[in-house]
Amino acid sequence: MAELLSHVLFAYALFTVASWRLEWLSKRWVPVAVVGAILPDLNRIGLLLGEPTIEAALGVPFSFDAIHTFGGVLVLSGIGAIAFDRRRLLAYGILVAGALSHLLVDALKLYADGSAAAWLYPVTWYRHPSPNLYVSSDSGVLAVAGVLALSVWLIDRYRVDTTKQSP
Amino acid sequence: MDRRRRLAVGFILSLALLGLCVHYGATSDESWPHPTGDQLAENQDEYVGERVLLFGDVQTIGDGTITIHVTDDDGDVAAELEVRNVEPDNDLDPGGFVQVYGVLETESTTSLDGYMDAEELVVVNQSPDATLYKHVVSAIGGLLAAGFFLRHWRIDYRQLRFEPRDETPSRSSGSGDNGDSNSGATNEREGVNTRG
Repeated sequence: MAELLSHVLFAYALFTVASWRLEWLSKRWVPVAVVGAILPDLNRIGLLLGEPTIEAALGVPFSFDAIHTFGGVLVLSGIGAIAFDRRRLLAYGILVAGALSHLLVDALKLYADGSAAAWLYPVTWYRHPSPNLYVSSDSGVLAVAGVLALSVWLIDRYRVDTTKQSP
Repeated sequence: MDRRRRLAVGFILSLALLGLCVHYGATSDESWPHPTGDQLAENQDEYVGERVLLFGDVQTIGDGTITIHVTDDDGDVAAELEVRNVEPDNDLDPGGFVQVYGVLETESTTSLDGYMDAEELVVVNQSPDATLYKHVVSAIGGLLAAGFFLRHWRIDYRQLRFEPRDETPSRSSGSGDNGDSNSGATNEREGVNTRG
């Protein structure tokens, strides 16, 4: 996976641009999509809690990596969506969309055997061919994400100023 | 939906997530087409002669070779392997992390558990510094996302929910910075949505 900052910046750029076109996607929902983009990486909680400890406590196999999959983000987004005071269906859709942006960026990552991670679980364990574009520590990914997000932010500011000036 | 009902739905969804994590943990090793550290530790001979993808921590760097530790779920060393056919100009340091794809072979003449001729070697982290870079940058990403979210939403601790910071449509005063202007535009559009 790319590091989390790149995912956050990509999601910001993607959903800000989408907000220019989609009337219902107002500015306050862009950060919801950005939070959605960090959901798959909550599997890192396993580094802190220790999966063997949880397996020993539950008595069954256990892996937080389920969170970093299609099924995992569908369920986790549901938990997030019920925390909103209203428009929970919209919150759910936007959280899922943000999380999918994360999984899709990760689907481009380099694997030595040429196939991406099995992120479509539980629909399928299929590993589709990966274009092998980057490794997770590649600072070039962050550079691209940063330039993209900065460009979108500047254009967004310009758009807001133009909107204010127009009658 | 009142607080009690939301908590009930949250509890059910948390159980569903728990079930997903258990199912994933029970089936992922079998569904992954390559041996995991646990499987190597159990029976490495089963995979000798097979083309496998392994992940390993770099221990030593030699002339066209490296040694790696493949670890199990507990973090213990499942296999110590020599990887041959390694390009010398990859800037790898001990403590780095690599993916190796190639045929696993046994090596009885050394203290190693086996060796692989790397058909593909991917340097994920060149050194421990690369790992630190990822963690630091990821932490910044998490903080940025949280700050961005809390700029537009606040937490109602009593009701355990998020609500928009500016609920009612308001006209931008024009004296604030661009963030305020943004909020003004947001409110106007949100107001339209609410009325719609």
